[in-house]
Amino acid sequence: MASTLRPYLTCIRNTLDAAMCLQNFPCQEVERHNKPEIELKSSPELLLNPVLICRNESEKCLIETSINSLRISLKVKQADELENILTKKFLRFLSMRAEAFQVLRRKPVQGYDISFLITNYHCEEMQKHKLIDFIVQFMEDIDKEISELKMSVNTRGRLVATEFLKQFI
Amino acid sequence: MARAGSFVEADNAEAIITRIEHKSRKIESLLKQYKPVEALKTALEGTYAMTGDERCKSAHWIAVHRALMAIKDVDGMLSSLDPEYYDILMKYLYRGLATGDRPTCDQCLRIHEKLTEKAGLGCILRFLTDTVNTV
Repeated sequence: MASTLRPYLTCIRNTLDAAMCLQNFPCQEVERHNKPEIELKSSPELLLNPVLICRNESEKCLIETSINSLRISLKVKQADELENILTKKFLRFLSMRAEAFQVLRRKPVQGYDISFLITNYHCEEMQKHKLIDFIVQFMEDIDKEISELKMSVNTRGRLVATEFLKQFI
Repeated sequence: MARAGSFVEADNAEAIITRIEHKSRKIESLLKQYKPVEALKTALEGTYAMTGDERCKSAHWIAVHRALMAIKDVDGMLSSLDPEYYDILMKYLYRGLATGDRPTCDQCLRIHEKLTEKAGLGCILRFLTDTVNTV
């Protein structure tokens, strides 16, 4: 498991490094509007090839770039029902607080667990390599968080059950 | 005129698929002789002359996939491969990564890391921007 994590994260980091070439681009259709072109997908000449990087059957990362914005969608490994529920709740918790994260998207793209939307404004305010570090660090930490949550749920369940069943001994 | 064009393309597609089958046989024989690097070179060359419809692209991908999975020594393979093949190899690597099949993805991730070190980020960027010659 850990043996493919390093190359997977390196591949994503390199691809993001190459793909994060964003510049300001006012909307072509509407005057005085400035929209992230990757969300609209109205003009094919502004879009680059989307990249899908899979680590295995259950984990993948979709990177779509356009001239002024970049969308990264992640699907996190979910081994069983409990992890499924925990992941959904945890990532929904984060997505609801997307304002605080700035680069997070409020709703994940269809088929994925969480999405990031990075625009040229983010690249102007923040450093590109730090943004990429953030995304990669997020991917590393999410797995640890989910396992910790799962362990704490199991521990709590066991304690509660023990206490409850003591009265019947 | 459009119909004549589509007939020509259909013939072309058949010719391309026949050529790809010849290449596959050559690749198989090279792999039997334990020459995975030559097999990969054979698989990669002439890709652009053979742009066709989805069938040709899939046939080509199968041949390249066979050669890629047989590679054990990635560094040796990259040092003996001509730089002109780096871009095409990168395109096939990304196609492999999109499949989601575990052994393919493992192999592709390994080669991708080394290829990026050798060819640089420009190789990835050329793949991202090339919407015409897709594999």
